[in-house]
Amino acid sequence: MTTQRTNDERIALLQGTLDLLILKTLVMGSCHGQGIARVIQRQSEEVFFVDHGSLYLSLQRLEDKKWISAKWGVSENNRKARFYSLTAKGRAQLLEKTSEWEKLTRAVGLILGGAETSGEEA
Amino acid sequence: MFGRKRSVKDFAEEIQAHLEMEASDLKSEGLSEEAAQRRARVEFGNVGVVRERFNLQGRWQGLDKLIRDLRFGFRSLLQSPGFALSAILTLGLGVGANTAVFSVMNAVLLRSLPVNDPARLVYLRTSNPPKHTGTIDTNVTFSYSVFDILRTQNQALSDLIAYVPLSSSKVAVRYGTAPEEAEGDMVSGNFFSGLGVKLIRGRGFTNQDESDHAPLAVISYNYWTRRFARSVDVMGKTFHVNAVPMTIVGIAQAGFEGVEEGGSTDFWLPLQSRPELNAWGNPLDSGRVYLQNNTWWCLRLLGRLAPGVTKTQAISQLQPVFQRGAYVGLGNPEPEEKLPVLSFQDAKSFPGYETAYGKPLKIMMALVASVLLIALTNVVMLLLARNTARQREFSVRLALGAGRSALFGQLVTESALLVMGGGVLAWLFAVWATKALGAWAQIESSLAPDQTVLLFTLGILVVAALLFGLAPLRVALSAAPTVALKTSAAASSADSGKTRTGRTIVTMQMALCLVLLVGAVLLLRTLQNLEATPLGFSTNGLVVFGIKPNIQSVPEGVAFYRNLMEKLRRLPGVESVTIMGERLGSGSSNNSDMLVDGKLPDVANGEARTVRSNVAGPEFFQTLGVPVLQGRDFLESDTADSSHVGIINEEFAKRFLPNQNPLGHIIGPAGFPYQMTIVGVVRDHKYRSIVEKPIAMAWYMYAQIPIIGAMNVELRVHGKPLAILPSAQRAVQEMDPNLPLIKPMLQRDQYDETIAQQVMFARLAEFFGLLAVVLVATGLYGTLAFRVSTRTAEIGVRMALGARRGQVVWMILKDSLWLTLAGIAIGVPLAILVGRGLESSLYGVKPLDALNYLLAMLGVAAVALAASAAPARRAASVDPMKALRTE
Repeated sequence: MTTQRTNDERIALLQGTLDLLILKTLVMGSCHGQGIARVIQRQSEEVFFVDHGSLYLSLQRLEDKKWISAKWGVSENNRKARFYSLTAKGRAQLLEKTSEWEKLTRAVGLILGGAETSGEEA
Repeated sequence: MFGRKRSVKDFAEEIQAHLEMEASDLKSEGLSEEAAQRRARVEFGNVGVVRERFNLQGRWQGLDKLIRDLRFGFRSLLQSPGFALSAILTLGLGVGANTAVFSVMNAVLLRSLPVNDPARLVYLRTSNPPKHTGTIDTNVTFSYSVFDILRTQNQALSDLIAYVPLSSSKVAVRYGTAPEEAEGDMVSGNFFSGLGVKLIRGRGFTNQDESDHAPLAVISYNYWTRRFARSVDVMGKTFHVNAVPMTIVGIAQAGFEGVEEGGSTDFWLPLQSRPELNAWGNPLDSGRVYLQNNTWWCLRLLGRLAPGVTKTQAISQLQPVFQRGAYVGLGNPEPEEKLPVLSFQDAKSFPGYETAYGKPLKIMMALVASVLLIALTNVVMLLLARNTARQREFSVRLALGAGRSALFGQLVTESALLVMGGGVLAWLFAVWATKALGAWAQIESSLAPDQTVLLFTLGILVVAALLFGLAPLRVALSAAPTVALKTSAAASSADSGKTRTGRTIVTMQMALCLVLLVGAVLLLRTLQNLEATPLGFSTNGLVVFGIKPNIQSVPEGVAFYRNLMEKLRRLPGVESVTIMGERLGSGSSNNSDMLVDGKLPDVANGEARTVRSNVAGPEFFQTLGVPVLQGRDFLESDTADSSHVGIINEEFAKRFLPNQNPLGHIIGPAGFPYQMTIVGVVRDHKYRSIVEKPIAMAWYMYAQIPIIGAMNVELRVHGKPLAILPSAQRAVQEMDPNLPLIKPMLQRDQYDETIAQQVMFARLAEFFGLLAVVLVATGLYGTLAFRVSTRTAEIGVRMALGARRGQVVWMILKDSLWLTLAGIAIGVPLAILVGRGLESSLYGVKPLDALNYLLAMLGVAAVALAASAAPARRAASVDPMKALRTE
C-alpha cells in the first residue's frame, strides 16, 4: 500500500512545464492520458500534482499544434483509451524546450546560489 | 481554414475512459469500488469546467491562427508599402467610383417610390387633349372635370389621385415676417391614403378636406429637417402660402418627397379654390380657377389599380368614360377631330428621371465598369508579379515545413487585407462622390447609399477577393521546395504562361483605355462647344429673380411692376431694369401659331409655323444688350392706352415676312383677340437654352396685354452682381412683405443650368479617362519592369555577345509597342460602338470624327511610352558582367 501525500505538499505545475513533461513522457512511446499523469506523478517522486483536467486540455493544445498525434486504442487492461505519440515536430520542440529549460534552471540556480554566496561574503 | 475536427463527444469519451482507468488503478491499490470512483473524480476536478475550456480553447485556437495570419499579412504588406498602397488605392478608386455611380443610378432609376405596393400605381396619360384646350403638357395633364368624372365612374382603380403644383418653380411662403420660397403641391383628399404614404406625425388629408378646400398642410420629412430641424413644435403652426394662412397638420414619412418630376415637394395642401392659389401659380383665366376651367388641362393624375384588375382591363373600362368626360363643358367633338386616348404608364420608380438621366447614367455606369475592370486586372497583375518575385521566399518556407495550405491561407489573408483596405477606402470615396454627383446633377431626391448599394459594393469586393485568391492559388500549387536551390532569377521565374497572361491583360487594358479616351475626348469637345456657344448678348452683370405679386386686376398689376422697376432703378449700382414673363434660359417657353396681318402665314413645304412668345417690360433689349436691328425697343410710354406694339426677331422676319420691311405689320397669337404692330426687329439670340436653334420669336409689351401674374425681373448692375440682392429684397418688401425673391441667380448660371448635365457628364468622363490612363500606365509599367527584372540575365548575355544598348532599349520598347498596337486594334471597333451610344449627348462633334481617334491613340501611345521608359532605361543600364556573375 502506497502512502498518500496530502495535496498541499505537492506543487502545481506551470502550464509550459506540463507541456514539456508530457512531451518527455511520450519519448518512451505512445501512452494514454491517465498513464501520462501517473508517469509524471511517479517520476517526480510524487512532488508534482497533475490536475487531470488541465492535463487533457494540455494534450489537446499540443495536438492542435501538431506536436503530438492521437488515436483511439486499447489499454493494457483492455479498456478503450486515446493514445498519444510524439510527432517529428514535437520531437524537435522537445529538444528546443529542454535546452531552454536547462538554460532557465541553470540561470535561476546561478542566481539563487550566487545570492547565498554573496550574502556570506557580506 | 481554422477550427479543429475533434468533437466534444470524443473528448468526453476520453475523460470517461480516464475516470474508469484511474478508478480501476486505485481499486488495485486497495480502495473500495465506490471510494476509488469518487477519488478518481476528485483528482480530475470539475469535468464540466474542463469541457467548457476544451470548447473555448478550440475557438481561441482558430482565432489565434487568424490573428497570426493577419499580423503576418500586415507585416509582409508593410515590407512592400508601394505595392500595398497602389493596390489599395486602385481598388478604392475603382470600386468607389462604381459605388458612387451605382448609388445615383439606384436612387434615380431603380428605387421604387416609397409608397405602398408601387407596382400597382400608374400615371394616366392621354394621346392628346380635345381641341381648344390649353395644357401644361399635351400628354400628362387633365382638367378637373375629367378627374372628377373618372374617379366617380370607375371600378378599375381603387384610387384616383390628382396633384398639381402651386407654381412652376417655387411658391412664396411666410412663417414670421420674412418671406421665403418652397415647393408646394395641391392634392386630392386621397393623396396620402391612396399612395399608402405614412405620416410620422399628425394626419394626412381626407376627402372632406378636399371638398372643404381646408386650409391644412402636410410637410415633407426633408423640409421638416431642413427648415425646422425636426422640431415637433411645427405641428399646428400656421404659415402663409401666397399670403393665405395654412395650418400644418402632418409630417410625411422619411424618404417620401412627392411625385413631382425631378423635384422634391416641401408641402402639400388639399385642392384649393382661392384665386391666390390657382394651379401652377397662373393668373385667372376669365375669372375662373383651375377647378372651374374645363379648357385648362393642368392636373396630373395617378391611379392605383384595383385588386385583381390588369392594366388592359382598367383601360378598356375607363376609355369610354374618359372620352365622354373629356368633352364635358366643351360641346361635341368636331367631326374630323381625333378623340383623346387614355393610357397608363408605370409609376413604379421616380417620375421623369428615366428620360432625364437614364441614358447618361447607363453610359456612365459602363464607363466606370471599364475602369473597374482595368483596376481589378491591375491588382491581379501586381499580385501575380509580386508572388512570382516571392517564389524563392515561398520555396524556402515550403522547404522548412510549411504546408501548401498554410502558404495558400497566408496569401489569401494578404489578398483579403488588400480587399478590406480597398473596400473601406471605396466606401468613404463613394459617400463623398455620391454627394458631389447629386449636387452636380441637381438631383434633389435623397441619394444616400442604401442596402442595395451596399450589396452591390460587397458583390464587387467578393469578386475582387475571389480574383485575388486565384492568383495565390496558382503560386501555392506551383511553388516547389527545390526552386529555392536554384538561385537564378531567370530560371526561377521566367514562365511563358505567366507572361502570356500578363500580356493579354495589358492588351485588354490598352483597348479599354482607348475606348475611355475616345469617350472622354468626345464629351470634352462637346463641353467646349457648349461653353463657347455665343448667347447673342453679354450676361456680364445680369441678375434675374422671380416675383409673384398678390394682385387682383390687370391695372393693379401693371402699377405694381411699374412701381417695382422704378424702385429698383433707384438702387445704387443698378444700370438698368426690365421684366419678362418667361425667364430667359429656364427651358420654358410659350409657343403658339401667330397670325401675320390677320392670317396664318404661308410657309414653304410644311415648315413649322410655331412662334415662341414672351412678355417683356420697357428697355428689355437694351438691358439684355441684344442689338435692335430695325425700329425700337419697348418704352415706358407704351401703355394700355397707346398703340399696341410688338417686337420680333430676325428669324421671324426671315420666315414670315421675307423680303419686306417688317415694321408696321400686324401680328397676334391665333385664337386670341390681341393684335400688335411690329415696331422693332432684334438679332436672334439664345432664349430657352444654350443648345437651341434659332426659332421665330415675338415679344409683347407687358402693360398692353390683358393678363398679368408672376414675372421675372432682370437687372444689369455694376460690380458684384449678386450683391444687389439684399437691397432688391428690401425694395420688394417695401411693396409687399409677403414676397420673396424667387430663385434669384446670375443670368449666366440660369443658362448654364441647361447644360449642367453635359458639363457633369464631360467632367466625369474626363476624370474616368484620366483614372484609366493612370491605371493602365501603372499596369503596363509593372508588367514591363517585372519582365525586365526577370530578363536581366538574358540581357546580360546579349550584351556580352555584342548587343548595343540601343538594341536592348528597342527590344523592350518593341514589346510595349506591340501590346499598344494590339490594344488599339481591339479598342477602335469598341470605341466606335461607344461613340454611337454617345451620339445623342454630343454637341458640335461627330462620333466618328477622326481627330478624336487620333487624339485617343496618341494618348494611349504616350501612356505606353511613358510606362516603358523606366524599364527600358533599366534594361539599358544592365552591367553584363554583374548580370552574368549572379547567374
